[in-house]
Amino acid sequence: MNASASLATAPRRYVIIGNGVAGNQAAELLRERDPECQVTIITNSRLLFYNRYLLPQLFKGHQSWHAFLANPPEYYVNKRIKVLRDCRVVGVDTRNKQVKLAHNEPVSYDALLVATGGRGHLPEELVECRHLFHHFGTYEAALAMRKALPEKGTVVMLGGDMIGLDLARTLLSIECRVVLVTHESTFWPHQLAPGERADALAALEKMGIELIDGDARGGVTSVEAGAPGLPGRRVIFRQGGDVYGDVVMPFYGLTPLVEFMVGSGTDIERGLLVNTGLRTSDPHVYAAGDVCQIWSEQDHAYRFYYGYKNVRAMGAVAAINMTGGHEHFATTQEETLGRDGQGHIDSPFWAYE
Amino acid sequence: MRGDHASTEKTGPSPDKNGQGTIHYSDDPRDAGWVRQNIPCQTACPAGTNVPAYIRAIADGRHGEAYEINREANVLPGVLGRICSRPCESACRHGWAGNGDPVGICNLKRSAADMKDARHRITERLYAPTGKRVAVVGAGPAGVAAAYDLSLLGHDVVIFEREEKPGGMLRYGIPEFRLPRPLLEIELHNALRLGVQLRTGVTVGAGKGATRVSTLLSDFDAVLLATGCMAPVHLPLRGLPDGTDLSQHCQDVEYGLGFLVDLHRGQNKRVGRRVAVVGAGFTALDCARVAKRLGGQEVTIHLRTSEEYIPVTSEELFETKREGIRIKGLRTPVALRTDENGRLIGVEFVQNRLGGWRDNGRRLAAPIEGSEFVEECDTLIIAIGQRTVNDFLDMRVEVGRSGNVRIAENGMTSVHGLFAAGDYVGGASTAIEAIGHARQIADKIDTWLVGRKRRRVVSMEPVAAPLRQPAHDFIPRQHMPTIPLPERHQLTREVECGYNQNLASEEAKRCYLCDLRYQINVDRCIYCRACIEVAPRNCIKLVHSVEIREDGTHGPLQETKEWQKVAAIWIDNNECIRCGACFKVCPVACISITRNHFVTVDG
Repeated sequence: MNASASLATAPRRYVIIGNGVAGNQAAELLRERDPECQVTIITNSRLLFYNRYLLPQLFKGHQSWHAFLANPPEYYVNKRIKVLRDCRVVGVDTRNKQVKLAHNEPVSYDALLVATGGRGHLPEELVECRHLFHHFGTYEAALAMRKALPEKGTVVMLGGDMIGLDLARTLLSIECRVVLVTHESTFWPHQLAPGERADALAALEKMGIELIDGDARGGVTSVEAGAPGLPGRRVIFRQGGDVYGDVVMPFYGLTPLVEFMVGSGTDIERGLLVNTGLRTSDPHVYAAGDVCQIWSEQDHAYRFYYGYKNVRAMGAVAAINMTGGHEHFATTQEETLGRDGQGHIDSPFWAYE
Repeated sequence: MRGDHASTEKTGPSPDKNGQGTIHYSDDPRDAGWVRQNIPCQTACPAGTNVPAYIRAIADGRHGEAYEINREANVLPGVLGRICSRPCESACRHGWAGNGDPVGICNLKRSAADMKDARHRITERLYAPTGKRVAVVGAGPAGVAAAYDLSLLGHDVVIFEREEKPGGMLRYGIPEFRLPRPLLEIELHNALRLGVQLRTGVTVGAGKGATRVSTLLSDFDAVLLATGCMAPVHLPLRGLPDGTDLSQHCQDVEYGLGFLVDLHRGQNKRVGRRVAVVGAGFTALDCARVAKRLGGQEVTIHLRTSEEYIPVTSEELFETKREGIRIKGLRTPVALRTDENGRLIGVEFVQNRLGGWRDNGRRLAAPIEGSEFVEECDTLIIAIGQRTVNDFLDMRVEVGRSGNVRIAENGMTSVHGLFAAGDYVGGASTAIEAIGHARQIADKIDTWLVGRKRRRVVSMEPVAAPLRQPAHDFIPRQHMPTIPLPERHQLTREVECGYNQNLASEEAKRCYLCDLRYQINVDRCIYCRACIEVAPRNCIKLVHSVEIREDGTHGPLQETKEWQKVAAIWIDNNECIRCGACFKVCPVACISITRNHFVTVDG
């Protein structure tokens, strides 16, 4: 066999950055559609893919991290999916089709899927206080938060997106006190009309969440460590007043994790801009999940699509198109904020399979 | 011997100041090519600032010397240390993929100015008087930089400035919370006190009572136009003729530069509760931050493209957002919405897609038909750029297609004796670009006036031992301390606090000192490989050939693993972190270190 023939039959190298729902769905489909290909998942987590929707259960009796894994380790062996854990991507060289890792290792690809999702958004005015916040985006962060929270302690939530409100339900069920400082991001990603918002806030109070009108206080200006004898954190409002809590958690929605793509030549606004086939402006780079902004003919705008169903569907569409398909993403996610039988809020974004 | 305007009679060896060897001056293009290729920060600086040298001086605690090194290339170091657009940091090798964040070059420049001794003695390298007189029109950064250089070169310089005070865009276009005026006053004073006459409140133009350019040409040996770009670029809107002055069309609409100039002339400016700023440059960010301080509750910057493609520093962008200003991308304003009284109630935008690239490297945006939407606002500030005006000229001067005046290779316009520099030639740019260009033109004026020619050679100074330690690689970039948000309501309170001694020292240690050239003398090398064994990176290479280009730079290294083919053992400066491990381990001392930089010499 000569060299060119060898190259022509070389297995395609699919690289996926991100180890969440979209990335793993894509990896599975890539293996199905191209049995000979190389599939590599790169993640900065030390854990294999785990179900973040289950993290609130950490508060209902200790569970080992094994219980959160979506797939057993053998799954990756059997599927021949290579997972590079604890690896931070620092750049993508689209000209040479290489992903650059922080330890200077290049990972070459024929097609790349960016499925890094988002991190909890922190408004720039609170960045200096970031070391005083607790987060809930990862297993490690959730463990640290649980450790910091005393029994029946107080959690001050800033913003209150649907990820935070999901956690709030669990915290209330274990008799913690939840204080919510409202913000325009409360209920994110739901878009509520003013009347709907007032009803939804009333429903939160009915659930047992204590509300502080953040706008009326001029917003949060800073967070300080609590003084001796007082709870661990103090939240200070711009127009005076404060509130204390054992932990303070920002829930202002998500910011797409795209920093490593800056300078790669692919189009970015807030997220990676993709068409409905989830292809970016680079024909060899795709994006799926909370990291991408998809062009919507209906809205004449780029928009994000959140929720488990959407993210999973995006992973599938991307994998199909990376292997020569011509699928288009269309949302099937219900986006209306509802109520349960007790009059408590119930969000379709809380649903997962 | 260092810096521009150094006066050496000829190229050749001379004793260095410590008597530890000899400094060589080279006009070999390969040495010049090495400097251009291997000191990316200095190459990227329009003024050619010797960045590694001043950072090294800061690391040693020699802040006054660091200030002087800066001042040789840029006469306003304290000013530029605050407001520079930092092209050096974009080029810094420490910011290359895998190397971390670029060195805080600009912050260090400021620290040199802040920390120099209060009784610091400024060094000026004055030439003898020439008896030639030069008029400079405009006392902005370009005019002041050119006037300073021309006065150093022995010419009598008079600056004509329309405003009451010098500084141009620095004084009238940049808010005080970014650039304190006392500092600006001091550095302008230092620039002009060599004998430059400053005539403020003098309008040069064709109108009644104005001083005419033709009069200046007859009274002076040369005239330099450095009037900048002070006219706004108009925003085309649906239903309005092109070039409509929107600030006249609606009282709630202002142009960014006019808004800032009015403010700094002392006018009492006001904004509505909801302020929309259209534009993507430093002026747009400044307008938004000023609007916030003037009481704007909801201030939003609207971009045609997205944050990734706007020409501002990430620090400015961050501070802008921190102050509660929102940034929204992919939209172009297409119409104003007004109420029955003509007051602004909103702006209609069209959604954009990202398009191709402009010639200047900026990103294009393409509007999407049928995607119009309205954003409510009470004040609109348009800051989409500035342009030059030529209507003050009382003679015909050749201009290019963009409307900017054309200059020849010698810096002269189509009118004999009339030169032009800075933004007035190249269009709206940055302070450092204006200063860099003005210095080049000042040099050309000098050549034209007295026939004095200068050329750049490379100074190669032996360095006894490595100056950097591998541990310096692990120092993170030191962030600029700022005042707390609640204290940011005053227009005059400077936001950035400057590095303290410790921060400056730590940040200075991060510099790779790219001006240090490590070379292996192959004639003495015994090919023991010890240097390769200790190298922390793949920085020492066995090379069988390399292309040397016409400009003296080199192409990719052709490596080999076969000893018989090795033509050179090459220290790859793209990889070298100047840790000195190779130097220390070499058993036959065949590795040398020299400090390389350009100096300008007469003749």
